[in-house]
Amino acid sequence: MATTRRDFLRTSACALGGVAMASTLDSFGIVHALTPQQATDYRALVCIFLNGGNDGNNTVVDLNQYNSYAAARGVDLAIPQANLLSVAPVTGGSFGFHPNLTQLRDLFNQQKLAVISNVGPLVEPLTKTTYQNNTGKKPLQLFSHSDQVGLFQTAIANVVSQTGWSGRVADRLTNLNGSSTFPQNISIAGINLLLTGVNTRQLAVADSGTTLANVLQLIMTGSTSEVNSRTTSFNELRNYDRNFTLIRAASDTRTSAIQTDQALSNFNPILQTAFPNTSLGRQLLQVARLIKACTDPAAGINMKRQIFFCQIGGFDTHSAQIGGQSGLLTQLSAAMNAFYNATVELGVANNVTTFTLSDFGRTLQPAGSGAAQVGSDHAWGNNHFIMGGSVLGGRFYGTYPTLALGGPDDTDSGGNPRGRWIPTTSVEQYAATLASWYGLSSVDFAAVFPLIGRFATPTLPFMA
Amino acid sequence: MRNRAFPVRQHFAGLICVVVAIISLGARQQAAAVVQKSPLLFSQSATSTRAIALESVTLRAEPFKLTSEGYFSPNDPRTRIALFCMNLDLLAGEGANALTADVQDATGTIYPLRVEYVGEVPPTVNYITGAIINDFRGISMIIVRLNDLMPADPGDVLIRVNLHGMSSNRVRFGIGHVGGGLPDDPGAIGTPAPQTVPSPTPTPTPDPFTGPASDADTVRFLEQATWGATTAEVNRVKAMGFRAYLNEQFNLPVANVPKGSNYPDLSFPVDDPAQGCPSGSPPECIRDNYSIYPVQKTFFTNALSRQDQLRQRVAFALHQITVVSGLNPLDRPSWLTVYLQALDRGAFGNYRTLLQDITLNPEMGEYLDMRLSTRTNPNENFAREVLQLFSLGVNELNTDGTAKLDAQGIPIPAYTQTNVNEFTRLFTGWNLSPTLIAPNTTNWRDPMVPRGGTQHDFGAKTLLNGVTTAACSSASGAANVACAQADLTVGLDNLFNHPNVGPFIGKQLIQHMVTSNPSPGYVERVARAFNNNCQGLYPDNPCSGARGDMKAVVTAILLDPEARGDVKTDPNYGKLREPVQYITGILRGFNATSDGVLGNRSTNGDLPGSLDQPVFQPATVFSYYQPGYEVPGTGILGPAFGILSTSTTLRRANVANQLIYSGILVNANTPTGTQLNLSSLESLAANPGAIADQLNTLMLHGTMSTQFRTSIVNAMNAIPTSDGSFARKRAQVAAYLVVTSSQFDIQR
Repeated sequence: MATTRRDFLRTSACALGGVAMASTLDSFGIVHALTPQQATDYRALVCIFLNGGNDGNNTVVDLNQYNSYAAARGVDLAIPQANLLSVAPVTGGSFGFHPNLTQLRDLFNQQKLAVISNVGPLVEPLTKTTYQNNTGKKPLQLFSHSDQVGLFQTAIANVVSQTGWSGRVADRLTNLNGSSTFPQNISIAGINLLLTGVNTRQLAVADSGTTLANVLQLIMTGSTSEVNSRTTSFNELRNYDRNFTLIRAASDTRTSAIQTDQALSNFNPILQTAFPNTSLGRQLLQVARLIKACTDPAAGINMKRQIFFCQIGGFDTHSAQIGGQSGLLTQLSAAMNAFYNATVELGVANNVTTFTLSDFGRTLQPAGSGAAQVGSDHAWGNNHFIMGGSVLGGRFYGTYPTLALGGPDDTDSGGNPRGRWIPTTSVEQYAATLASWYGLSSVDFAAVFPLIGRFATPTLPFMA
Repeated sequence: MRNRAFPVRQHFAGLICVVVAIISLGARQQAAAVVQKSPLLFSQSATSTRAIALESVTLRAEPFKLTSEGYFSPNDPRTRIALFCMNLDLLAGEGANALTADVQDATGTIYPLRVEYVGEVPPTVNYITGAIINDFRGISMIIVRLNDLMPADPGDVLIRVNLHGMSSNRVRFGIGHVGGGLPDDPGAIGTPAPQTVPSPTPTPTPDPFTGPASDADTVRFLEQATWGATTAEVNRVKAMGFRAYLNEQFNLPVANVPKGSNYPDLSFPVDDPAQGCPSGSPPECIRDNYSIYPVQKTFFTNALSRQDQLRQRVAFALHQITVVSGLNPLDRPSWLTVYLQALDRGAFGNYRTLLQDITLNPEMGEYLDMRLSTRTNPNENFAREVLQLFSLGVNELNTDGTAKLDAQGIPIPAYTQTNVNEFTRLFTGWNLSPTLIAPNTTNWRDPMVPRGGTQHDFGAKTLLNGVTTAACSSASGAANVACAQADLTVGLDNLFNHPNVGPFIGKQLIQHMVTSNPSPGYVERVARAFNNNCQGLYPDNPCSGARGDMKAVVTAILLDPEARGDVKTDPNYGKLREPVQYITGILRGFNATSDGVLGNRSTNGDLPGSLDQPVFQPATVFSYYQPGYEVPGTGILGPAFGILSTSTTLRRANVANQLIYSGILVNANTPTGTQLNLSSLESLAANPGAIADQLNTLMLHGTMSTQFRTSIVNAMNAIPTSDGSFARKRAQVAAYLVVTSSQFDIQR
């Protein structure tokens, strides 16, 4: 005989009092002003992290530089010009999307999608000269996966921060969610730095393979009376030995999970929009369900501000890039398109902004030998997508790099330049623009983005 | 880090008279209760927990400012505070980096503090006769540096210091202003300096651990050194002692003697699964030849039943440092076996050998693309990760594992992109052996070999620390092959001999086995063992014989005073059991019978995979979780917390529920299934307290609190003896509650 979560909850709702409740509130980061000023509209940010370092050079190609692109990449890594999906941005120029980004091309043409060019971690604006002669300050540990993932998520390029920019944004905007006790920041891809704030702790749930009602299910086997007495003790034990830091941390995580489960078990949203059955498709479907659960008054959660984190891996294409990246971009394009359609279905297309992040861009020059085996190495500045009804789409932002080995945007000159672009737009500017739309006041910019004052403009004009 | 507090020493003479005055004041009070074996920080009186604390340069009393008024370096103006204590059992050679410290402010936020100096308070001496007037050598002064992240005016903070995992009492001082802050710890009392100055503690002689051990420390030792304590092993190891156990483990035979490994050789199937398992083949053809199933099964079978536990535990830690992931399409069990065999040899071998085995491992060649890297088409992947993950780490390290800082206080990178480029060139020109194992069967068995031709970059290279290689005599053919081999030797020697390797690898091994936040002093002792430095705590005679000797490293990790002892009171001590260790701990503790099928194709699904640790299939070369992961809001590291989310915490409990209440059923892929044996607990069912006590000893090594015990006894008593299955049910509920508790989650 199996007793599942709902039976358990009947007892746990009573058992979770006192200390456990207090610690949960702490860990949800919802200790806010006594008179919360709840926002009137709903806004959500959805991060899609392309883990491993997506090759932006083959994601969006400047067709006016096609010849130098093709020469540097060589036949094994260059995409034939005829295969690129050409677009004519409102902002001018002529660009080609990767052949597998058909839906994103369409969204771009519908002005629901924008491209930001050559964005990356920066401590301060850098030129090739100040980079090479070391008079300019450089981000920590350039070209290292773990560190550059960190810098894209913390948006502070000169220290090892333990909080992410979305976490710090959420720290300051808890009041916009009024009295709702639901976590503001939710990951469908496990724990990440982006959503971690000083006070904000993230909820992590599984993808749409599990219904929301079961996503935080605790299973106890036994009769109801046995489970009840077991549950009492199970909950009591988390109140003990809290003076030991790691014991307390483990207990608080579990208490958060149980607490949140109560809210999610009440509502099981169904989406009509079809999602591809891929990793990212399942993650974004779960995000869509959560948005519905958190905005439908019938569910009783009533969130006004939420930040979501999704992630797919495999972008570290040191080898076999043509095959590997193509499949991943197919997945990305189809899943983002389905998600946009789902926001239309839910009536929140203008209230949800989706954006990509990644470790870094990749070298323009290929890496490795053997035709289909060729890949590219770690680099720096990269091209990214922003999608949503409030995005001023059909446009390119930032400055697309000069595609020349040893050229003005390359970190290297001389003997063996690889084509690593020095970013011309900082992660902080990219993030601050999104955060500003989300509701962060410009007076809070310096607290959330401590280096933002070093750049000419704190934000870019890509949001309506 | 050691003895870095130069401003302090310059002012030390001036400090002494202040110290004398304060201690004399305290001496009028009654002597305080001494916390056994724990450092005792002095407070000002028996009725106050206010610390005897001085700004270390100006010698002013509280309230302290975050920024010192008399700092020496414009790059580090942070205030240093001097505190006084007794009962510091410092070992020979131990200094400030043996101690850790933290303060907690009124908001509950804890800030780690760096301890920069520790030393006995010198006696006051009659300058003419040389006679000692006052002898303070039993009293120590500690200097801590305030944390840069602290607010400027938090008011009172509570400070503690820890030594060897033992916490001091907490005393308070004010920053910005005096007052406010958290209440004193429950039961805290004033701890004034004693009336009679304590006699200096003789430097303790390190326990050689040649004699019998205590119950609690034996269980703790087995948590660190094995896949989980069993009653039988506790009794055996307790009697033989830890030294003898280590020697036994170092010398136990392996299952596959020629390979020095517990993994049996597997046959290499033809490359194409469609050819190897044509339609009509039995379902186990794919499973056994082209999936990860056989190696996961062997892993768990060995973990649950083989006696050579320590080798397995170290090898699994090494797997997480030098990662090859058996993710599709690299999940051929025969390929992975070659890698796992290298790890088994490396566990008790030499790290230099492991580094070479890993570098030339054919699956690594595929995983990090070294086999595609040639002179004209280089690939940086392996070169970058061997530097970042397998040898140096990103920053220059002191021997104690702390980062070396430049004049601005910023960590110094251990290598640059130029170094990556040079090592990329050095590793060019290798590929799988061209000798096929059989027709259509690529050689994924033998180490990679030079390609020849002109594929290796034969030019001169500049490596680390001034080491260079000369251009080779000739560009092609046999000379190119010889050049690739010679370069590899020089390159791996260059990495292996870098001073970072000992602390970088040593600290991670400590984190995997003992505690997530080792003191720098502990890391230093382990690094010295790696470095074949005779100043280690346990210099095997004479030393270990070689740099990189893993037996010496493992010995230093497990016999260190920070690892050993019945109980650890440092609140930051310990580590979260990673999922694999969590599962094996339950299965071993409760004498499971198992076929080892707990991963893919278990009838209960992939148990460790459901907890984000799919065995031998981490998502990237950065493993299942990262050693530098900080537990949010705590200021301390908790690597395995990187995969303990709101989802996996509940699945962890559900895994325990499955194992305890149903086990894993017999199926085509689970020939015998997995079942716990709770009979030992069931035999005590009439007396729930006895069940609790047995679980306390075996699973919590005696740390179960009274309230914890009462709680689970109540849960057992809720099952009436009139229930026909009460014995089993009481055993189950008690086992479930203990192994799902955070107290069991954290290995302390």
